[in-house]
Parts: sequence; C-alpha cells; structure tokens
Amino acid sequence: MSEQSKDLSDRNFAAEAPSSEVHSSPGVPEGVPPSETLAEPQSPPLGPTAAPQAAQPPQVPSDEGDPKALQQAAEEGRAHQAPSAAQPGPAPPAPAQLVQKAHELMWYVLVKDQKKMIIWFPDMVKDVIGSYKKWCRSILRRTSLILARVFGLHLRLTSLHTMEFALVKALEPEELDRVALSNRMPMTGLLLMILSLIYVKGRGARESAVWNVLRILGLRPWKKHSTFGDVRKLITEEFVQQNYLKYQRVPYVEPPEYEFFWGSRASREITKLQIMEFLARVFKKDPQAWPSRYREALEEARALREANPTAHCPRSSVSED
Amino acid sequence: MQSSTKRMGVMTDVHRRFLQLLMTHGVLEEWDVKRLQRHCYKVHDRHATVDKLEDFINNINSVLESLYIEIKRGVTEDDGRPIYALVNLATTSVSKMATDFAENELDLFRKALELIIDSETGFASSTNILNLVDQLKGKKMRKKEAEQVLQKFVQNKWLIEKEGEFTLHGRAILEMEQYIRETYPDAVKICNICHSLLIQGQSCETCGIRMHLPCVAKYFQSNAEPRCPHCNDYWPHEIPEVFDPEKERESGISKSNKKSLRSRQH
Repeated sequence: MSEQSKDLSDRNFAAEAPSSEVHSSPGVPEGVPPSETLAEPQSPPLGPTAAPQAAQPPQVPSDEGDPKALQQAAEEGRAHQAPSAAQPGPAPPAPAQLVQKAHELMWYVLVKDQKKMIIWFPDMVKDVIGSYKKWCRSILRRTSLILARVFGLHLRLTSLHTMEFALVKALEPEELDRVALSNRMPMTGLLLMILSLIYVKGRGARESAVWNVLRILGLRPWKKHSTFGDVRKLITEEFVQQNYLKYQRVPYVEPPEYEFFWGSRASREITKLQIMEFLARVFKKDPQAWPSRYREALEEARALREANPTAHCPRSSVSED
Repeated sequence: MQSSTKRMGVMTDVHRRFLQLLMTHGVLEEWDVKRLQRHCYKVHDRHATVDKLEDFINNINSVLESLYIEIKRGVTEDDGRPIYALVNLATTSVSKMATDFAENELDLFRKALELIIDSETGFASSTNILNLVDQLKGKKMRKKEAEQVLQKFVQNKWLIEKEGEFTLHGRAILEMEQYIRETYPDAVKICNICHSLLIQGQSCETCGIRMHLPCVAKYFQSNAEPRCPHCNDYWPHEIPEVFDPEKERESGISKSNKKSLRSRQH
C-alpha cells in the first residue's frame, strides 16, 4: 500500500461527520457507512435559514486534507484503518485507477443531476464503482472535492435512509440563479421559495409573510437586486403573467392586503415532491418535518407515476419501511 | 496520470457557475452561451471585463483537461449553428448514455446509429430501425415500446426526427465523433473541407466527395459558379446561406419556423 493511498484513507474517515451512525441497515454495502457530507468539512449548519454555505475559496488542488480534517480524525479515534491494513484482502488499486474512478463517478453524478434523476448510492456502486467497492469512500471523497473545486457543487447525502445524494450548488448566492435563458422556468430559487411557503401554509400566503421569507435571502420590496432587479415587480407582475403565481386581494380587509397562490403553470410544472426536496435542502431538515405536506407530496408522486407508467421515472424518494 | 503536477488554469466562481449552467442545459447555442457567460460575470464579478468567449472556454478547458472532460464547440449539420456542450472524452462507447437507458435501449440506439452511418442521406427510417427490434440485446422490446424509446432519444437530444426519419443530433456528434470514427472506420463519411465526421451533407455526383451544408455555404460563399474542390465539376446542388447570428436574431425567426435545407442532396 503506497503512502499516498494510506493518507487518503485517513482523511476519508476524517471527512465523515461524527454523527454518522454505522447501522447495518439492509442494503448498505458492507464496509461503507455513508457520511452526512462528503465534501470538505464545513462550518456547522446555520439553523433554519437559507443562508448559503461558506463558499470554498479556489485553491490549487492537492491531496492533502484540511488541518481541521486531521483534527477530526484524531478526535474520531477510529481504528478501522489498522484492521484493513492487517487483513490479507485484495491488493489495493493504483492511485491512478482510483483517480479515474473518481472522474467517472463525477461525470455519472453530473449526468444524473442534469437529467433530474435520483442519485442513488447503490446505483453508483453498481454502475461506476463496481469492484472498487472497498475504496468507495476514497473515490467518493475525491469526486466531491473535484465537484466542489471545479463546478462549485456539493455532493450531499440528502437521505441516509434512502441513500440518496443530491448535487447542491455551493456558490453564493445559493439558489438564486437567474436562469439566463428565457426558455426555462424563471428565477427558480426565488419562485420555489414562495411556492413552498404557500404550500406549507396550506392556503394563500399574505404578501407580508412572503416578504418576511424573502428578507432571509436579502430581498426587500424597495431595494433593487443585482440579479432580480425589481423584486416586487417580478413576483407580483412577471410571475403572475407567466401563471406561476396568483396575486389577489384579500377580501374584506382594510387597508387592502394581498396574498399569493400557486398559479396554474406552477401546478403543472412543479411537483409537491420537488417542493419538499427544496424545503429539505434549504432548511437542512428532513421532509418529514412537514409530515402532512410530505404525505401529500408522496400521494401526488404516486398518482403521477400511475398516470405515466411508461415514462422513464427516476426513483422517487419514497421509502416504505 | 497524476493530476497534481498539471498547472491548473484560474477557476473562479464565474467559471464554476458557467460550468454548472452549461451542464444543466446539456447543449446550448452560441448566443445562449454568450448570455450565460455574461450572466455569470454579472453574478460574481460585475466590474470585470467579460473575457472573449473563446479564451474563457479555453481557460476552463485547461482545468477540465485532467478530468477528461471538455467544453466542445460544434456546428449543427443542417443549418450551421454553433453549439456547445460539455462532453466526456474518457468513455469511448455508447455507454456514455448508460446512466439513462437500459441495455436494450442502448442497443436500439446502436442499431439506429449503424443505419444512420450506413445510409446515403444520413437518415434512417423509423421502419428500418423498428424492424431490428428482434435483434436487440437484453430484455425483449416490442415495436411500440421501441417507438417510445426513439422519442426519448429525441427528447434527450441524441437523435433528431424529420418526417419519420432519424439522424444524429449535433450533441450526439459532438460527444461521439471519436467513438464513431473508431468503431466504424470504413463506413464513416468525412467532410472534404473540415475533415470532421459527416452525417448529413452534399456530395459531388462525379467524384463522390462530401461536404457539410455549412461547409458548402462557407466554401462557395459569393461564388457564382460553384465547382467541386476535388474534380472541378460543376457543383449541382443549391448552395445554402452562411449562418449569420445577427440576422437571425433581428428577424426573430424561431428555430422551429426556420426552413432548414433538407439533406437529401446527394
């Protein structure tokens, strides 16, 4: 075993968050406890806000981990490394082969994300990692590093239970990509924010509530924004014109107040499951934190699947115990 | 190959966002790519001068080199529009698409690909493709299913359909040119002007050399008497117009309305 790959496996354990429990749930490939996040260790989550992740500053890539990672490794005190060195297992592959696998995995994840398909860990092992299963963590870690440094994307385990990953943007401002090309849904993040607020409320969302939420993103009705421009005009006029939102006067209220509802186009183009996934990402909670909404979303997903049996459905995040 | 010794180009959030969005869209036309670039600058580095697109992309490609991926520029075969896609250079097989499709679906694509390459026009008829359904590897596929799979290929921009016939999408050519040239060295056609893979194009009736429509347009631009570059015989086909992005945008012609020259000019 070369020195270098030995180092790699050190950092692998370090990269795992302390909370990763290695329960032997059925279906987890042996020897691979998925960790909370496989990117470089980040500052702790900032609670239920949409504050963006600390962006990784561009660095010359190297194989050395952070000093923080080493510290974590020391704190972890895992002894896994010793047994694997002692066991007469198969010869570890050359570092170059692991690198190549990491590149393959990177592309695999990018394409899955592009097609809006679920990135499922067992698929990753089956389709890409294959016989290198034992070095899966090392490969995953390198892939995450590359994705973060080159694409500004975090490969995050979104659900330990269903073993699903997602590619999350790691650039500031997070989720605020103005889709610069007019043929796509506009201002996805902003719109999703409003739609999910309405969805969670279960009824129309008053304009004041919407602005409370948008304030988290640093958006005010009177301030022009670098990407969105006049935000108020955008959400009360443009989104309404495009049928993504409805903006209506609340009846019998003086002075006049307005509220937002889902528009017909939003109902057509966006699924409730997408809203739940969005919420889970932004608030770093499990979708089950909104149990009745999540149930609704699952129901809708099932109904859609039944309506389109021949369509190529990505594996949904439905998990039945 | 160790990547640590390679000098990496400068990669900033501008480039990262650009890559993210390019990947999201799959394949983009040049004008959209320029808008995308400007958008990325606006988000991350508003006061910087926007790099020339070619330099911008070369810079990113120098970083991507060690990952065996590349932003490739191509030109649509029917009307000469420049397109860009992020392609994977490493895998040299149809399994590039493997994340999306089942074994029998991939094989259907392979069969369609072979028919397209072997054809005179670069198009394979739906009927001919569907007739090969019995020979597919993997799970048995019925013709009805195969029709839907072909539509999936069209939606995913691997194939283009015109009047019941299928040819390769520009994106597929970008991604698979190397694979196709290696796998079908005898059957592939090459353009006499640009020496790249040719699926659709015009051919000389005397000596048989072929040229892409956009290559024909450029080569014979403002030439009253077009002659074959190889045998000098009179060039018998209609010469298409050179693609002009400015003119296109001004007249607001949508892509679907634009009458693109049919490739049946062999």
